[in-house]
Amino acid sequence: MSLLKLFLVYVKIGAILLGGGYVILPIMTSEFVDKRKLLTTEEMTDYFALAQSLPGIIAANMSMFIGYKLRGKSGAVIAMLGIIFVPFWAIVLLGTILGSLVSNNYVQAVLWGVGIAVIALIMLTIRELWQNSQRNRFFYFIFLTSLLTLLFFKLSPVAVIFIYTAVGILFKYIQKRRMDK
Amino acid sequence: MIYLLLIFEFFKIGLFSFGGGYATIPFLYHISQQYNWYSLNELTQMIAVASITPGPVGINAATYAGLKTAGITGSLAATISEMIPSLILVIIVSKLLKKFSDNFYVKSAIETLKPISCALLTSVAIGLLSPQISDIKAMLILAILLLLSWKSKKDPIFYMLIAGVMGVAVKLITQ
Repeated sequence: MSLLKLFLVYVKIGAILLGGGYVILPIMTSEFVDKRKLLTTEEMTDYFALAQSLPGIIAANMSMFIGYKLRGKSGAVIAMLGIIFVPFWAIVLLGTILGSLVSNNYVQAVLWGVGIAVIALIMLTIRELWQNSQRNRFFYFIFLTSLLTLLFFKLSPVAVIFIYTAVGILFKYIQKRRMDK
Repeated sequence: MIYLLLIFEFFKIGLFSFGGGYATIPFLYHISQQYNWYSLNELTQMIAVASITPGPVGINAATYAGLKTAGITGSLAATISEMIPSLILVIIVSKLLKKFSDNFYVKSAIETLKPISCALLTSVAIGLLSPQISDIKAMLILAILLLLSWKSKKDPIFYMLIAGVMGVAVKLITQ
C-alpha cells in the first residue's frame, strides 16, 4: 500500500469515526482485514489491546500501530496525519461558527442542556471503567486514596498518576515477592 | 510563548491520559483552572462539540482547546503535540511487541492506572456537578439521562441531542 493510499484510507476512517471508542475496531477491521486483506483479525485485536494499554488516544494509537506495521515509521506518521485531517477542519469550522452563535438565547439553552449531557457522559464513563476493572482491595485502595488526594490537595493529574503508579508498582512488587517465597 | 505552553501541556496529556477519549477531560479541566485559556463553561462546550464531530473525542477536544487558546495555529500545535508521545511509544512498542505486554512493571502500572483513571474522572464529575447541584432543572435532566442509560451506555450523540432539546424546552417553559 502506497503512503498516499494509506493517508487517504485514514482520512476516510477519520471522517466516519463518530461516537467514541466502540467503532474503532469494526471500522479498521473492515478496512484492513476484510477489504484489503493486509492484516489478520488476530493482529487487529492484538493492536487494539495494545492501543488501549498505551497512554494517549486509543484510535490514534491503533492507527499508528497499523501504519507502522504496513509502512514503518513514515507509515505511522502518515496514519497520524490522516486520521486527524477531517476532524481537525470540522472542529476549526464548528468552533469558529459557534463563537458567533453563543450570544443567541436558544443556542445558549441548547449548550446549557448539552453541558449536563457531558456530566452524564463522564459519570457513565466512570461506571464503564468501574465495571471493566477487577475490583479487589488493591483497586479500592488506589481509587480512594488518589481521589482523596485530588480533592483535598488539588494536585495536578500528572502528579497523582506519578505518585500512585509508583505506589501501585511497589505494592505489586511486594505481593510478588511474598508469593515467590 | 503561548504555543510553547500549549505544546507542553498537550504533550503531557498525550503521555499521561489512559483509557479512552474522556480520559483527557481531567487534564483539560486542570488546564482551565491553571491558565485563563477557557472557562469551565467553555470546557463543557468543547467536550460537547468534540463528541458530535467526527474523529476521536480526545483529539477533537485538543483541537478545540487549541483553537480557543491561540487560533488555528494553536489547534494545530495542541493536536499534534498530543499525539507525539503516542507516536514515539507505538514505534518502540512495535519493536518489542511481546516483551512489552508480558513485562511485570508494565502490567502492574496498567493495573494501577485503572483505579487512578476512575479517581481522576470522579474528581472532574464532582467539580462539574457542584456548581449545578442546587439547580433543580439541571439535576432533573441529569437524572433522566442517567435513567435512560440504566442498562447500557448509548452513543454520546444520543445524550447531546436529548439534553439539547430538553435545554430549549426548559427555556420555553420558564420564559
